[in-house]
Amino acid sequence: MSEPIIKIEDVHKHFGRIEALRGVNLNVAEREVVVVIGPSGSGKSTMLRCINRLEEYDKGSIVVNGIDLNNPHNINAVRSEVGMVFQNFNLFPHLKVIDNLTLAQRIIRKREKEEAFEIGMQLLNKVGIPEKADVFPGQLSGGQQQRVAIARALAMNPKIMLFDEPTSALDPEMIKEVLDVMAQLAKEGMTMIVVSHEMGFARAAADRIIFMDEGVIVEENTPELFFTSPTQKRTKDFLGKVLQI
Amino acid sequence: MEKEKKDAPNQELSFVTGGEVNIRQDPWWWLVVVVIAIVLLLVMLQPVPFKDIIVFAKDGILVTVLVTVVSYFLMLILGLFGGLGRLSNNKLVFGISSLYVEVVRGIPLLVQLIGWYFASPVIIQKLGLWTGIEALIQYRANPIITAIMAITVCYGAYMSEIVRSGISSVPRGQMEAARSLGMSYFQAMRYVILPQAFRVILPPMGNEFIALLKDSSLVSVVAVADLTRRGREFMSAHFNPIETWLMVALLYLIMTLIAARVVSYIEKRSKYER
Repeated sequence: MSEPIIKIEDVHKHFGRIEALRGVNLNVAEREVVVVIGPSGSGKSTMLRCINRLEEYDKGSIVVNGIDLNNPHNINAVRSEVGMVFQNFNLFPHLKVIDNLTLAQRIIRKREKEEAFEIGMQLLNKVGIPEKADVFPGQLSGGQQQRVAIARALAMNPKIMLFDEPTSALDPEMIKEVLDVMAQLAKEGMTMIVVSHEMGFARAAADRIIFMDEGVIVEENTPELFFTSPTQKRTKDFLGKVLQI
Repeated sequence: MEKEKKDAPNQELSFVTGGEVNIRQDPWWWLVVVVIAIVLLLVMLQPVPFKDIIVFAKDGILVTVLVTVVSYFLMLILGLFGGLGRLSNNKLVFGISSLYVEVVRGIPLLVQLIGWYFASPVIIQKLGLWTGIEALIQYRANPIITAIMAITVCYGAYMSEIVRSGISSVPRGQMEAARSLGMSYFQAMRYVILPQAFRVILPPMGNEFIALLKDSSLVSVVAVADLTRRGREFMSAHFNPIETWLMVALLYLIMTLIAARVVSYIEKRSKYER
């Protein structure tokens, strides 16, 4: 197996007196899709946000695509290689959809207006809403906004995509359209880390599932083994509660 | 009937991209028209004091406009940095900008103006005598520049707080999204945060312009020949306080009413769906 594209070693993080991460170790290979599940407050999102240093960690090391995150000079270099999709979309409401997609391309990737526009339109086609290029994000449904957010991250040609509960803020009927886009990305070989409660997606698209609780990784396994024969008691309890519904 | 209903939402949406705002949509333009009409009427019916006042105070109006516009733009810049400073994680930057805001906000503008004009030259001259630098000993305060400086410093403090509140009103996720795309802090501010904050602070920014326009009358105490000072000179020469101050008040009113309309026009144009 080749060198992992993300290496997380013994990462600790606390907010005030709360320990959010207490020694997380995780390697992610290129083209791998990792789904992270776990109860709320287990540190899933915090871990994800440490990978592009939206959250600074206290101890340990993270190396992304060969760049050491302990050296703060590398932050913007890492961030432009790592796409991030948020629970609340965080589209720029003052810009039209197409401008949301071209802004960072132009000022970070230094692409010409026409080139950025071409790439933006291709990606809108890919996520299935090219006709919304000229409207403002506030006029889109949640599912459409999230698809635009995915396209916006892809416009930077990231090597890695991070998804922080991308469907948690969506109405049920819109979840599928977003998951379909994500499944397509996974199929195309994008390296992805997805924090999600969508067990169906985890089962279908993940190469590996990670269960976190109280700031540590409790269990990791392939989807089949994870759902059929979890080894840890905490995993069993969690799955028991989640899958009952 | 049916058709009208269908058209209605589209008309509202046209505001999103910046609809035309004319007199019909903004009836307050009529007030401007009425006040100007009153002034013209007075000038035509009673040219003896009223037309004379305008002719006499003409350059005063220009000075008022100049002082207002220049200090307004300078204080916007100062306020932008003050506001960013108030949000800085750097303790020194935060401390300096907070001290500036708290101290300057607590001293009346009139006191600041008089202080800058009468006290600061003495200090600079003393400093010149101390250090032996000839240029400092010869320093004399220029009324207009001193007035602009004093207003800028004073209003910059208020503006800092306005900018701070505007930036704070933009959800944290916006900065995170911008940073996660690889933008630096300043790029994120420039392209993502400030354009959104701008929309929030536009109404108070407009208020500040109108307040500044009125407060610019205070500069008449430091030998700046603005509209107020010219009015006082005219009154002393002709002994007609009622006509003079009626006309001066109307002239200020025309300027502030126009400013208010312009602000409301910009506000309507900068709307977008959230």
